[in-house]
Amino acid sequence: MISMGANGFQLLVNYIVAILVAIVLSLVLRLPLLPEKPIRFSWTKSALFPTPIFAIGILAIFYSLNIFWIYDGLLIAIIVGVFAALFVKYLFDYIFPNPPKLEGGSE
Amino acid sequence: MDLIIGLILATVISWLNFVIVDTFLGLPEAPGVKGAETVGYSIKARKGDLAGGFFQGNILCSPDASAGTLMASIGFYILGIQGGLIAALLVYIGNRLCADPGYAGTTGALTMTLLIFIFSFIGITPEMFICGMVIAIFTIQGIHHPTSSRLIGKIAKSFGRYTKYE
Repeated sequence: MISMGANGFQLLVNYIVAILVAIVLSLVLRLPLLPEKPIRFSWTKSALFPTPIFAIGILAIFYSLNIFWIYDGLLIAIIVGVFAALFVKYLFDYIFPNPPKLEGGSE
Repeated sequence: MDLIIGLILATVISWLNFVIVDTFLGLPEAPGVKGAETVGYSIKARKGDLAGGFFQGNILCSPDASAGTLMASIGFYILGIQGGLIAALLVYIGNRLCADPGYAGTTGALTMTLLIFIFSFIGITPEMFICGMVIAIFTIQGIHHPTSSRLIGKIAKSFGRYTKYE
């Protein structure tokens, strides 16, 4: 049996809050809900992918460093959710630019 | 749980996780990067299957669900569920660095985190999953490429993800 840390249920709630905050804020920032089709080859950033991945990944880093701050980590969850949405909207293309389309590449 | 039984179960679970996620997200359909194309046609020239070759090239050239499964197991071993989620983020970053959209790797890491959590209740530990994943990837990439590529090709056909390349 693997323990989730301080309080398993509270952590689950925090993760869900972070995901919801990230998705709602990125929709407010006018990111599309889903990438364009076919989804499995699409490069579009969207509200469902990869925004929640950043939210829960960064939140997990805080929790595994034992940083919970106040309200059992709930406030950090909200801040990280906001940060993830802002990051994907404004900083993402600067840090992870799309690959150039090469002539004679795989097609 | 007994080590050998746990290891066999972990191998089967990891194998199914990464093959199903990778096939469903289109790895056999098209080479995502140039290296995968080279590997695919090279395996075809050795009497293998082209879709299976693309699959093997894609998991060789960028982190897909195979890497996601292994990283999630290692993350879970070190930090529990937190580690699995961090692994998903790292796999996604690795995908983008390899010019890959990153759906298969991230999805594989998240599904594997969930699977390890579920199977921890019947006593399969993350260590078994790490070892099991290494064995699982060895059956695809390490024994005989043409044979395993034909198996992957059959699986891809049954998922409707067979390649349209010649």
